[in-house]
Amino acid sequence: MIYLIKILKKEFLIYSRKSSSFISPVVFFLISISLYPIGISNDPDILKNLAPGLIWITVLLSTLISFQNIFSEDYEDGSIELLLASRQNLSLIVLIKIFVNWIFSCLPIIILSVSSVFLLYFPQEGLKPLIISLLIGTPTICLFGALAGALSLGKNSITGPALMLPLSLPVLILGTQAINYSLNGINFSSNILLLTAILVFLLPIILFASVGALKLHFN
Amino acid sequence: MFQALKNFYHKLGSFPWFYKISGKVIPIVGFFSILLIVISSIWGLFFSPTDAVQGDVYRIIYFHVPAVSVSQVIYYSMSVAAAVFLIWRMKMAGVYIKSLAPIGAAFTFIGLLSGAIWGQPTWGTWWVWDARLTSTLVLFLFYLAIIGMQSTFASRKSADTAVSIITLVGVVNLPIVKKSVDWWNTLHQPASISISGESSISSEMLIPLLLSILGVYLFVFFTGLLFMRAEISSREQNKEWFKKLSSNN
Repeated sequence: MIYLIKILKKEFLIYSRKSSSFISPVVFFLISISLYPIGISNDPDILKNLAPGLIWITVLLSTLISFQNIFSEDYEDGSIELLLASRQNLSLIVLIKIFVNWIFSCLPIIILSVSSVFLLYFPQEGLKPLIISLLIGTPTICLFGALAGALSLGKNSITGPALMLPLSLPVLILGTQAINYSLNGINFSSNILLLTAILVFLLPIILFASVGALKLHFN
Repeated sequence: MFQALKNFYHKLGSFPWFYKISGKVIPIVGFFSILLIVISSIWGLFFSPTDAVQGDVYRIIYFHVPAVSVSQVIYYSMSVAAAVFLIWRMKMAGVYIKSLAPIGAAFTFIGLLSGAIWGQPTWGTWWVWDARLTSTLVLFLFYLAIIGMQSTFASRKSADTAVSIITLVGVVNLPIVKKSVDWWNTLHQPASISISGESSISSEMLIPLLLSILGVYLFVFFTGLLFMRAEISSREQNKEWFKKLSSNN
């Protein structure tokens, strides 16, 4: 147990000292959110209808900036190799890494998504489903990001995003639908439950798959 | 019976045995697949009755349905192979995935293309964001990710393992994608053939359709064997048995 807490502390320290890890998704999010009114229209009615999808897609794309961070530096300085050799439970370590990555790359964006109320004229009553669906949906996306990152370690190819985005499709659909439902006065709890189910169902599978993918690089 | 199956399974893992047997099977399968495709195409295009609602346009069904159905079957068979590869490290399973992925991608593409051509006169548009179209598009993207992942690893074994992992994660995710896009939007006509219940298609149209489906399945079997042979010969070209075989011919 103690080594897990140590790894957790280490990860927190690394992320908090490397400010780009949480600043770049935030900057990306703010830039894209402010580009939509300019590129599409500044008409509040149009933006209001598009806002749920725009916010979700932007969150999805901004995770593309950060998913490489989960393993790439550990891979370059060789600490992954040491973890593999340490005979500890790797899936827990991977889980910690994904969790810390989520806190630093997704949580700030989720908090910032409140700004869409001013920038995209997003209705205030939609904030609750927006925040809840993002809080439950983004961990799943981070899981896919970890798998994609583990598979494409040390390679600058499109395969990571090409793998990650089609996998995230259900989360995107259910997340935006939850917001649209609540804006139209329909009960959205079923969508939130389904998002939770997807997260719980995929968590062990993706963890094992990422560990398997990490081992690939050290034969 | 069980023993014979087990023996067959063990033999399947052997490259020389597979190479020898597939060489004998390929001409037969190839002949029948092309024969069936030709028969069913002529039957479907010229002799089956015109549809009451859609007119002659519906005849593209004889290409569309076999392609779409085989594209899904190929993916599921690949995921079985992926499990076999990850559990028993059977090299043949890696060869299978690598050879069948391009075929599956090609048939998914044919399915999407023929669907677009069919959709233009009947729905009035080439593409709609409908549930089935979207999940087929996602299937196509999975195939592309699998093919793309093949080339990023230098070692064959790592590439096969990576591809197996993606295939398995994909097969876990595909039903979720399918269900979620179903809730999202659907416009597509429901499946007209079902194995259990009554089919909602007249038998004069059904028979050529079943023949074309069988023909395409055999064609996939045929091309799959060809691709696997090519893959085996590229992997094993320095092995003793392969050199002996090629010097004999």
